[in-house]
Amino acid sequence: MQIGIPGALLYQYYISFWRPFFEELGFQVVISGNTNKELVNRGVKVSVPELCVPVKIFIGHVFELLDKGVDFVFIPRMEAIRRGEFFCPKFMGLPAIMKYGVPGVKGKLLTCQINARSDDISNYKHYLPLLDKLDLSIKELKKAAAFSGEKWKRFRTINKMGYMSCEANKMVVEGVSGKELLPKENNNHIKLGLLGYVYNIYDDFVNMGITGKLNQMGIDFITFDMYEEELLDQYVAQLSKPLFWTFTNKLLGAGYQMLQKKLVDGIIHITAFGCGPDAFLGRLLELESDRAKIPYMLIRIDEHTGENHLQTRVEAFIDMLKRRKSKIS
Amino acid sequence: MKVSFPYMGPVTAYRKLFEQLGYEVIVPPRPTQRTVELGAKNSPEFACFPFKVLMGSYIEACELGAELIFSSGGHGPCRAGFYGEIHARNLKNLGYQAEVVIFDEPLYNWKGFYNNVKRLKGDNSFFRLLRATFLTYRVMSELDKCERLLHRISPYQRKAGSAEKAWLLIQKEYANVFNGKGLALARSKTEEIIKEIELSKVEERDRIKIGIIGEIYVVLEPSINMGIENILNDLGCETERSQYLSEWVDYMLIPGKGKKEKGIMAKAEKYIDIVIGGHAKQNIGHIIDFKERGFDGIVHLKPFACLPELVTESIIPEMSRVYDIPILTLSLDEQSGLTNNLTRIEAFVDLIRKKDRARHIS
Repeated sequence: MQIGIPGALLYQYYISFWRPFFEELGFQVVISGNTNKELVNRGVKVSVPELCVPVKIFIGHVFELLDKGVDFVFIPRMEAIRRGEFFCPKFMGLPAIMKYGVPGVKGKLLTCQINARSDDISNYKHYLPLLDKLDLSIKELKKAAAFSGEKWKRFRTINKMGYMSCEANKMVVEGVSGKELLPKENNNHIKLGLLGYVYNIYDDFVNMGITGKLNQMGIDFITFDMYEEELLDQYVAQLSKPLFWTFTNKLLGAGYQMLQKKLVDGIIHITAFGCGPDAFLGRLLELESDRAKIPYMLIRIDEHTGENHLQTRVEAFIDMLKRRKSKIS
Repeated sequence: MKVSFPYMGPVTAYRKLFEQLGYEVIVPPRPTQRTVELGAKNSPEFACFPFKVLMGSYIEACELGAELIFSSGGHGPCRAGFYGEIHARNLKNLGYQAEVVIFDEPLYNWKGFYNNVKRLKGDNSFFRLLRATFLTYRVMSELDKCERLLHRISPYQRKAGSAEKAWLLIQKEYANVFNGKGLALARSKTEEIIKEIELSKVEERDRIKIGIIGEIYVVLEPSINMGIENILNDLGCETERSQYLSEWVDYMLIPGKGKKEKGIMAKAEKYIDIVIGGHAKQNIGHIIDFKERGFDGIVHLKPFACLPELVTESIIPEMSRVYDIPILTLSLDEQSGLTNNLTRIEAFVDLIRKKDRARHIS
């Protein structure tokens, strides 16, 4: 039996768990390919126009999986991974949007509810609704969850050493355990904070390969997923009322840490058109960057963004940072 | 101390609370184009429309000298719960000294809630606070009842504008209520005012009933939803909203009174099984509820890119098909054009009329 996992939204963060999980249970895992123009267009066609691009892209990936003839598409409902916090309402309603809004998904939807206490979502209890549909026993489920939970932890270890999620995921598949690795070091002059959700910074179609561009320019950058969760929480605690969305809080914590400790020369924040939580996050970071006197640039991407405009803006921003740095030192 | 608050729905009612507690009340001006522009200019571009209107309202209130702004909060996942935090920062950034006090749900933050209540109470006794709250609540529910009735009869008024005029008069009556006695007086006067509206007789089968659902602020506040109820009334449709402020208070604050809302939510269980923020789940329930009560169509209002309502909107086509009820979604923001929306609403009402006629003929 084939189970499809869309290569969008939280894919880069949790694939090191989900893939081994289903493989361990004896299923064949099919993952949709890279995002491309045609795929995005298919998603755009069936979705409500105002939905954010990442969700439209997700729909495109689901279509691709359906084309490949998978038996089920795995779309968990991400409810919370912290006590008292949530995911964006669109994540919480994702299975409903898919079931009723996207033709062809209804009979093939494989869903469960993830309401965890920490980023680690490997507790088998979240996956109990899968038992009936996939005809499994609890014992098998427990074993698979424990096995792949280890894999995911390995991914996080590598990730936190300064490797991007996409690199870290690859290494886990190749069998790198993380113990033999050294933290990634860079001696570049300019250090950049690259803020954005995993589905924005690691999807080369939607951000037009910004990570590649930065690497080419020899710019070193850090992202939120390279941080320890506890450290991020410390910075989030500065707010008397934290934001409601876990990943938004993570970005906020990372941003605050970079700005307050003056770890970076500048911050680029990549957000998708129509992202609700980011509207508030952006304002908070803007205020903090004023205070820290560190430049902050917001890049908003959508299905129509032109590559040249992005290239120009990023280059100009980097040039400005370089000039600023030589002036200060 | 000069206090202010958001402008949403029956302001006549809740300004009472502050008046009774001895504050100098600054009612923010009814949102106008200026309010919206001020708000949009000083808000994040992708903040939702209610955020921008409130921002504008607060700035206007500050211009009038407000020193303390009371508003409600929440704890997600809808963005509305976080409004106050950003509003306060923005006001400070603009150089206004006003303090923003946010009431979160008592269960979420007991201590904060208690402190805020003490803040609101000031030098008054708890008894006085309770009495003021209770009076406010009663005025609010009675005004809501009147408004509901008026929008049911106004399509059949003989003289155009008489229902609207009555509504203004009724609000004036209730503005002068300061105790139980005044309340009874206002009630009897209101009955007279309503009786004076001349109505033409229309057969039950010729009546068209439209339910209005959506995000609470754009549903409640006529000045930013183009006066949707009046527009529909003028087109000859009875209207009823999914939200009335007094019902929201029932659900949020009064134990045991939220039964109606719970029933509505139970109806939505099939489509959305958890609360995903805002009123998305309730709205799904209201669609089913309106259909069961024989409504002919539903207008769904939402601020542009509203997170929870986008989920509702994604499910609506399926529901419209399953329950055989026309549903029109209108997205509102600072750039919405009145004429464009009017055309859509007129076409929608035409469609419902034709559908209705076809049913009667067959």
